[in-house]
Amino acid sequence: MKISGVATLNAPPAKVWAALNDPAVLVATIPGSERLEPTGPDSYRITVTAGVASIQGTYTGEVSLSDKHEPSSFVLTARGAGSPGTVSTTVQVTLVDAADGRTELSYDADAVIGGMIAGVGQRMLSSVAKKMAGQFFAAVDDVLTGAAIAGQPQEVALPGAGQPAAAAQPASYIAPRPAAADGQTFTRGVLVGAGVALAGVAVGALIGRRSRLCPNQS
Amino acid sequence: MTDATELHDATELHGATEVHDVRLTVNGAARTAAVPARRLLSDCIRHDLGLTGTHVGCEHGVCGACTILLDGVPVRSCLMLAVSADGQQITTVEGLADPDGTLSPVQQAFTECHGLQCGFCTPGFLTTITAGLRTTPDPDEAQAREIVGGNLCRCTGYQNIVASVLRAAEILNDRKAGRA
Amino acid sequence: MSSMFGARVQRVEDDRLIRGHGAYLDDLGEDALVAAFVRSPHAHARILDIDVSGALDVPGLVAIYTYDDLPDKLAEPLPLLIPHPTLTHGRTPFPLARDEVNHVGEAIVMVVAADRYLAEDAADRIVVSYEPLPAVVGLDAARAADHLVHADVPGNLAARSTQERGDAAAAIASAPHVLELDLEIERSASTPLEGRGVLARWDDQAQRLRMWTSTQTSTGVRAAVAAKLDLALTDVDVITPDVGGGFGVKIVHPWPEEVLVPWAARLLQRPVKFTEDRREHFVASAHERAQLHHVTVGYDDDGRMVGLDVRFWHDNGAYVPYGLIVPIVTSTQLLGPYKPDAYRVEFDSLYTNTVLVTPYRGAGRPHGCFVMERTIDAIATALGLSRTVVRERNFIQPDEMPYDQGLIFQDGRPLIYDSGDYPALLAKLKDLVGWDDFAAFQENARQEGRTVGIGLACYVEGTGVGPYEGGHVIVETSGKVKVATGLTTQGQGHQTMLAQVVADELGVPFEDVEVVTGDTRRFGYAVGTFASRTAVMSGSAVALAARKARAKALRVAADALEASADDLEITNGIVQVKGDPDSGIGLGTVAVLSNPLRYAFDDAAKAATQFAGSSDDSKPPVAEDDEPGIEGRAYFSPVRSTFASGMHAAIVETDPETAEVTILRYCVVHDCGPLINPRIVEGQIHGGVAQGVGGALYERMAYDDSGQLANASFMDFLMPYVSEVPARIEIDHLETPSPLNPLGIKGAGEAGVIPGAAVLAAAIEDAEGIPVRSMPMSPSDLFELRRAYSQENS
Repeated sequence: MKISGVATLNAPPAKVWAALNDPAVLVATIPGSERLEPTGPDSYRITVTAGVASIQGTYTGEVSLSDKHEPSSFVLTARGAGSPGTVSTTVQVTLVDAADGRTELSYDADAVIGGMIAGVGQRMLSSVAKKMAGQFFAAVDDVLTGAAIAGQPQEVALPGAGQPAAAAQPASYIAPRPAAADGQTFTRGVLVGAGVALAGVAVGALIGRRSRLCPNQS
Repeated sequence: MTDATELHDATELHGATEVHDVRLTVNGAARTAAVPARRLLSDCIRHDLGLTGTHVGCEHGVCGACTILLDGVPVRSCLMLAVSADGQQITTVEGLADPDGTLSPVQQAFTECHGLQCGFCTPGFLTTITAGLRTTPDPDEAQAREIVGGNLCRCTGYQNIVASVLRAAEILNDRKAGRA
Repeated sequence: MSSMFGARVQRVEDDRLIRGHGAYLDDLGEDALVAAFVRSPHAHARILDIDVSGALDVPGLVAIYTYDDLPDKLAEPLPLLIPHPTLTHGRTPFPLARDEVNHVGEAIVMVVAADRYLAEDAADRIVVSYEPLPAVVGLDAARAADHLVHADVPGNLAARSTQERGDAAAAIASAPHVLELDLEIERSASTPLEGRGVLARWDDQAQRLRMWTSTQTSTGVRAAVAAKLDLALTDVDVITPDVGGGFGVKIVHPWPEEVLVPWAARLLQRPVKFTEDRREHFVASAHERAQLHHVTVGYDDDGRMVGLDVRFWHDNGAYVPYGLIVPIVTSTQLLGPYKPDAYRVEFDSLYTNTVLVTPYRGAGRPHGCFVMERTIDAIATALGLSRTVVRERNFIQPDEMPYDQGLIFQDGRPLIYDSGDYPALLAKLKDLVGWDDFAAFQENARQEGRTVGIGLACYVEGTGVGPYEGGHVIVETSGKVKVATGLTTQGQGHQTMLAQVVADELGVPFEDVEVVTGDTRRFGYAVGTFASRTAVMSGSAVALAARKARAKALRVAADALEASADDLEITNGIVQVKGDPDSGIGLGTVAVLSNPLRYAFDDAAKAATQFAGSSDDSKPPVAEDDEPGIEGRAYFSPVRSTFASGMHAAIVETDPETAEVTILRYCVVHDCGPLINPRIVEGQIHGGVAQGVGGALYERMAYDDSGQLANASFMDFLMPYVSEVPARIEIDHLETPSPLNPLGIKGAGEAGVIPGAAVLAAAIEDAEGIPVRSMPMSPSDLFELRRAYSQENS
């Protein structure tokens, strides 16, 4: 399955690059993502709960980045599996300066879907993937413009209590809970209406380890 | 094989759609269903209550196959919403025979007179005629035709259905008089 | 014990159905996912884009499929079921439209969801972009071919077919008189009360498919589905549930839904169900009856036809999965009970951007009968002769049987009438309707200011079409008899009729015989239910199977009773020495004895075990050419169809002002040979007559110029209620046995409908004095006809 598209983000390429490299941003913006764990240079383990229409599932995936040309392009490779099926994808991401402090992002993805969800029809799958990509970039844009917050790092206590972990890297990042106005979790909030797609394209551009982006920075 | 599709069950599904509790007395028994507002009574009877004897032939109220008795009055269940029947008494074809299984006069007449072929329209005729004979217990042929004048049948050409109405009236009267 | 053959016994099917315990397709599969379809709103269009994104938010949505998802064989057009050498440009649809749609209702997208409401919600939100193309609607437009339905079919011509016997052109040229007529019948449809439906369950462990479908041919569906899904026949079960009427439309297979639903079930590993709604039945199943005919007939002073030339045009809709059966039946059955010296028929089967056309009860005979009967009436009128006399002069006589019409019939075999007595049939009809008294009645009516008329129409029907049917009969150790045949049932009382046949053949009580039809698990070789063939084909097959079982039972009983098989009879399920009721053993016991056992699984079985002393130790327990059990399996495959016949007469009154037509009397004389169950046969005639009346006076598919079906509902497509059907259908029978099958019977299923349009046209013409050449005839049609006629003749 091939899908591609463009998105306009309201920040210059360097900021977009930074955001897309920040796991705290990613865990908050990848639709359905719950947890992100660094597993090595430029690679992460991600947990996503997502649905292809009403086929829901929790998927664990590995994501890695390569071919990096800051701040203009990189390639993302992702592989995820859950009870409804499997996804394996390679995404080419390109950032171009669009003037007025904006960036035009284009993506080109090639995905192989397996298992049960492979049987729901190509148009539905690609439509779901595109929708999710759209949600992802809109969410990133919200973070860039300060309209939304990034995720929370979760520290793991190291042996030898009493010693503060020096320059501790967070073991994983947890997706933020939205305001519980309707009493629903973030995940439930996304799932109701069943519009959330499998993390094909949006098991996105995780690049290196950076400290989380301060919401006040743009 | 693992059942890999994790579909929401009906309750959860309807959790995304509002449902209403409907309480009905169906063939003498108290029944309840939780249905969306737009659920047709015919679908509620067939699928939520599992009484598939009532059939759906057109969904626009012309063929009469879906006819049930609502508080004794014949009604096209495909033209009603289940929620509008809340609190009412419904008789379907499954409720026409006696508790001991004895066929009702109308049912008996149909079997004697070869009043059914494929049987799809039949439940609608049975309920309609049951009500019709209460209003007109001793119909002549013209009245018998009038009673069934609003139900479609594609198989029988109606000849034996009209004969069944007249025979049903006979059986009804015989039973009342203790002759049958 | 009296014979069951000919008994008016009550049907065994009724008790279950009358209690509301029928199991029709939509009653099954409560746990299944449900399919709905996005169907073309255009009669002819190119598909530009399909955008499903709007549907994604619908709760319970599981899958959305388009042509691009279809693999291998599913991506090919559906099968062309009945090829024919002249069908040079046959086209069938893809299960889901690929680039183009050719009729309103053609399936484009399949949606699967948790229930029908949600599936329809999702379907509604899918946006298909089209480029509308010019629609070809009606025979005139098809023939003119200003636009094409299929770009690669020139002239919209699927086939041009000719059959000829003798030199009709020469005969007409030298005939004393010649008449030309243009005759037209409009489109109607089967419209059973229950539409189509499919349920599929895929067993992933066993890699087997089990499906239920509201069909007239479970073996046909099985073969087609197995082929399309790359499964072995033995890995597919097709079970026909209770079916709420078929009348022909359910013989078509595989419908797109019949391959897509099982395919989805296998993909999704969940049962999937589809039940069409009424509008879908109107625009996505099949219609029939639209033809235009030009007749040239040469005849002599006696009204005998010396040469008959019929040219006609058949509207086959957008695709021809069923081939040319309808026009072939018209071209051959048109001859009816007559023998014109020379005959030539040529037809064009043309595409239009409308729903496909496949057989509906009568399957081309009603058109043929209409054409022939109007022609004969025209000859009678031209010569000033009686309509019955002209017919008598043209009849094939009983002593000319078997009569070879010199044509090839729809079964690919010579059109040879095996039996029939048309003069006797006509005499009975005249008697029943009081033909000779009518003139006086008509005159009296005229004095009273009433317009009445009488018409008659004769037809012949090739029934019991091959290639074969099979039957299996087994006597169980309980004494009960189980029978299976592979064709299907849609209300014709097959379980009753076939039980009557077997009860007689075996000598068992009717109540002990149970019949199953249409289940490939029970009987795997079959053709289907159509062409009035069940009694002839399956009746003969189960009779032959029962005879085998009977012979086996007598052999086994002869051993047990130490008598000769020739001295034994079976009465009421007891095998006894003739005339000695005390000697008897039950058939159930015989069944036990027929299966030599090592292990006695119950008390009765002890008699068959090794120490029970019942076997001859010089012979093997099961003889070399024998089998355990009392079973018989047989097939019936006739050399050709057997010809039933009939004649109808109708007396109508037309209203001088409103032009309404009222049927005062409707009489049927009918010959289907001996009747197995007269009540069932009469029921079939009643139903057929009602459809004939409906088709003659009320039913018409109203397509507009852009190919939209304006009356795709029961509100506007006028199926008859009780008020439209004659209050009394008077029936008399003639029985000329068939020499072509062991029971000597002929088919009866379609008889009632065949002459409907012809007889009512004739009666209306007789009442009005205006030639009636086009049907149906609604009051507005008659009103216009009167106006046009008086303008022409003023």
